[in-house]
Amino acid sequence: MIKTEFEIIFNVLLLIAIALIFARIIGYLFYRLKQPAVIGEVIAGVILGGIIVAYFSGQEFYILSYKLPLPNLNFYSNNPDPFYLLAQIGILFILFISGLETNISRMKRLGKTSVSVAIGGVILPLVLGFILGLILGFSIQVSIVIGLILTATSVGVTVRTLMDIDELDSDVGTTILGSAVIDDVIGIVLLAFVLGAESMMGLAAVGIRIAIFFFIFLYIGLKIIDKILDLGDKIHLPRAFLSISLAILLIYSFFSDKAGISGIIGAFIAGLLIGQNVRSRKIVEDIKSIGYGLFIPLFFVWIGVSLWEGYETNYSSIMHISILFLALLFISIIGKIIGCGAGAKIAGMSNRESLQIGVGMIPRMELALVISTAAINHSILNGEIGQEILLVTILIAISTTIITPFLIKATFKNEE
Amino acid sequence: MKKKKRLISDFYELKVNQIMDKRVWDLPLIEDKEDVYHVLAILGGRNHIWVVKDKKEKELVGVITEHDVLSILAPKDFPSYVFGMPNISSIQHGTAKTAEDIMCHRIISCGPGDKILDALMKMVKYRLRRLPVLKDKKIVGELTLHQLIRKYYDATQYKPIVEDEEG
Repeated sequence: MIKTEFEIIFNVLLLIAIALIFARIIGYLFYRLKQPAVIGEVIAGVILGGIIVAYFSGQEFYILSYKLPLPNLNFYSNNPDPFYLLAQIGILFILFISGLETNISRMKRLGKTSVSVAIGGVILPLVLGFILGLILGFSIQVSIVIGLILTATSVGVTVRTLMDIDELDSDVGTTILGSAVIDDVIGIVLLAFVLGAESMMGLAAVGIRIAIFFFIFLYIGLKIIDKILDLGDKIHLPRAFLSISLAILLIYSFFSDKAGISGIIGAFIAGLLIGQNVRSRKIVEDIKSIGYGLFIPLFFVWIGVSLWEGYETNYSSIMHISILFLALLFISIIGKIIGCGAGAKIAGMSNRESLQIGVGMIPRMELALVISTAAINHSILNGEIGQEILLVTILIAISTTIITPFLIKATFKNEE
Repeated sequence: MKKKKRLISDFYELKVNQIMDKRVWDLPLIEDKEDVYHVLAILGGRNHIWVVKDKKEKELVGVITEHDVLSILAPKDFPSYVFGMPNISSIQHGTAKTAEDIMCHRIISCGPGDKILDALMKMVKYRLRRLPVLKDKKIVGELTLHQLIRKYYDATQYKPIVEDEEG
């Protein structure tokens, strides 16, 4: 290996180190401000990609007449770009951990109210987002993605707010938590359809592909997973069981990608499968350490960085983004309040409780970012449209998480 | 030294039902719908509780250890990332109401016919100090590290390991 290749590798390692430090420091600042750390990590990416790397990479500085050259730091250095690769593994880890943490037996116990709220909260934002996309001149597939971004709730902010006002153990709190899990799963299944369908006409074919994939990899997987994990148990090498579990994650991602329904769906199914097995007790914390410690922060930093890729600011693009953002923000709030509220009302909750549930389901975050990125990776969102929608998704995530605590507190005010 | 080596090999070959505590009536059992304060009352004197669907059938559905109680007793620190179903069980926030809310449902168990060697390996791999002994999903006894240590030590003192097999 020639010296420059070594230099590139170590420059990338330095970039990863800087990204992790930035992600964690800014993420922590947001956490202290009672905001999701994810926002801080995305902003770390924006700062890193747009300012630090752009202005300091490859520059020479002088300290007391000593020349201090800074290395060439480039997020898009090679093909495939190593930082991008790590960020993509980060998405797989997000879905894998989601699957691991989804307890099917607990999901079965969720009441009909949670199901009703989740369905209402998926259908209305999806339909409204789709219609808005068409009105703004986007294609049918892009419009569906816009709708899909608005479906999945991020429950972190709501849980913290309900804790603050001592309402987490109420019927409203329990329903919100249950519904948020269900709408995540519905969102992931719908995403599989959207990523797999090259056209609206191909939906039936995708449905069959998904059904076959689920049958082979979930049903048969459940039958043989014990034997596969047993193999990991029998290999007496350090963390062999963890290695086999990670291999299952990567193999499932590969085959689901080959089946045309995106690697992240395979990662989720792999997590679901391993999470139901008692042996997963041994590896859940290890997998979280790897995911949360390395790959997932790099994914969120990457989202921030990717906003700068070939971005040109002009008046019309700012206007277009502002209109798209305001319209989507309005829909994301109204869609959940009315959709989830209607679902709660149908299930027999009072008007006030239905409103509280609708408001509690407003925040969007992790899965919305994953859906935008997956749509960009699958070229459903291309070029400027992709960047606009990714930026708007970030802005919606930030806005909804800031607005929601105030709205929740307002709806619980003066309650007997 | 040779005698000790043979003794440990023989110990490994014993079956779980030769060593386990078979006094099912004395096991710390609780039904999954029972109040969390009942759990606390039992754990004041024991290290763990086996959670069953109902005490007659004794189908095991979970286990609660002191560590599980620590996580609901301490102030809840919510993680910065939330994927899947977050664990919100907490006494402070009133979300830990029943045994079911705090139990660990992924149970590592052994069968009465398993070798002690396999049970020990499970304890090492999963960092456990006790295993429920299950027959057709029903708890028929428990094997604790404390019992294993006591039985092995007794054997080194020339006492038969399985002298009280039936008792």
